[in-house]
Amino acid sequence: MGYYKLSKTERVKTKQKEVIESLEILIIDDNEQITKMLSTFLELKKQKCTVANDGKEGLAIIKENRHDVILLDLAMPEFDGYAVIKDLEESNTLKDHKIIVFTASTITQEELDVLVDRGVHSYILKPIDIDILLSKIIETANS
Amino acid sequence: MLSIKHTLFLVSGVSSFIIFYMGLVNFITSVDNSTGLILLIFSIFVAIGTLLATVSISKSITKPIEKLTQNMTKFSKTKKMSNKNKIKTNIKEIFELNENFENMGKTVEKTIEVQKEYVEKLKIMDRKKVEFSSMVSHELKTPLVPILGYVQMLQQEELLGKLNEKQKEAVDEIYLSTKKLERLIGDILTTQKLDLGKLVFDKENINISELLYGIIKEFELETTERKINININLSENLQIFSDKNRINQVFSNLIKNSIGFVSSNTGNITIGAKDSFNDVEFFVQDNGIGISAENQNELFKKFYQVDTSTSRKRGGSGLGLAICKGIVEGLKGKIWVISEENVQTTFFFKIPKKSIKISVPNKLK
Repeated sequence: MGYYKLSKTERVKTKQKEVIESLEILIIDDNEQITKMLSTFLELKKQKCTVANDGKEGLAIIKENRHDVILLDLAMPEFDGYAVIKDLEESNTLKDHKIIVFTASTITQEELDVLVDRGVHSYILKPIDIDILLSKIIETANS
Repeated sequence: MLSIKHTLFLVSGVSSFIIFYMGLVNFITSVDNSTGLILLIFSIFVAIGTLLATVSISKSITKPIEKLTQNMTKFSKTKKMSNKNKIKTNIKEIFELNENFENMGKTVEKTIEVQKEYVEKLKIMDRKKVEFSSMVSHELKTPLVPILGYVQMLQQEELLGKLNEKQKEAVDEIYLSTKKLERLIGDILTTQKLDLGKLVFDKENINISELLYGIIKEFELETTERKINININLSENLQIFSDKNRINQVFSNLIKNSIGFVSSNTGNITIGAKDSFNDVEFFVQDNGIGISAENQNELFKKFYQVDTSTSRKRGGSGLGLAICKGIVEGLKGKIWVISEENVQTTFFFKIPKKSIKISVPNKLK
């Protein structure tokens, strides 16, 4: 299994070279271990990362700066991912951003489809192989 | 059917007539006219009296019984005792009958009340179970994200530097265990969803040949490494309208089991499908250690493992086959096993070519 994933990694690597040098990625997640790991990984992969550890902070950053891709956690205390989506929806700017919902919540396919219908770009379920995550981020940025 | 009223009327009518008739005969044949007349008049009175008495007796019997019947019919419809239409009677048997009915009614009412409470409690428990399992799943999956992330970074030397052979081995072991844990969490969640009837199935047209080749590919590395022969037996190309990912999951679980139970170098696994009326019959066959008859019945139960020592070595969760069964039954199919110890084991599962989109029936446990 491990070897299989590694061969995928190689595919990702070649694909990555063809495309973009550096993406601006915003990570909104309350779990600091996750954000630390992701930013370490993405920076090693020559991407630019901004981290927000709660929804409110994330929303402020979204409104201030444009990002190529936003990784958004759903379950966060107080101001959660749904609240971020709702806020952007209310200001009619949800579709201006490429948001990937990144969640470990038990969420049904239908609920995910609803989010996509509302204007979220796509979704990734935790946990995920980081190389697949990167390829999805690149894919999203190029879409 | 006979009614009490009619029977009583018939009996009293006949007896009144006999009394009257005897009086009449007596009157005609008697020598002394005045005595005969008195007897005739007396017999007429007795006859009329009998009839009147019958009417009143029949009323006092049938009225409360009719009322009781009405009350019973009403009760069987509403399951509620009403205070209206109370029965008043002096007849002991009917009084007791009514009393027993009222007691029974009260007991039934109480039982229904208790039942409702239980159903309510079960519903709450069901909801709590769902909440709990999603909470647990979220809490268990979250720390897996950084673990898996760092392990995968360590596996790529251009990211965190080159590891020596021993370190590499250690990291690979951590990776495999993390993946196993991830799968186990997934399995527990799937089982939970199956139990609660929350697993939803998608349907699409599936080309079975493509499906089978795709599945074999997933196991290629493992089977080549252990020199296990794995092949496909498919005589004709079939189509099925069902849930591709779930059928894939059943195959994966069965093949994983087979791989665990065959020996390296001589292991032989065949997967395939054939047409079977309205169904497609799939199978996974291996020449592994096999399953004894007594274990065959228990096999599909949750957390059932044939031999704990072998399964510990294989690292199974004991949920694989329970999940297979849940999925297959959710797709309106059937799963079974035929095995001869140390010779051959075949798992079969049948799925309707057009399985209806349904979720597994809610089992309240």
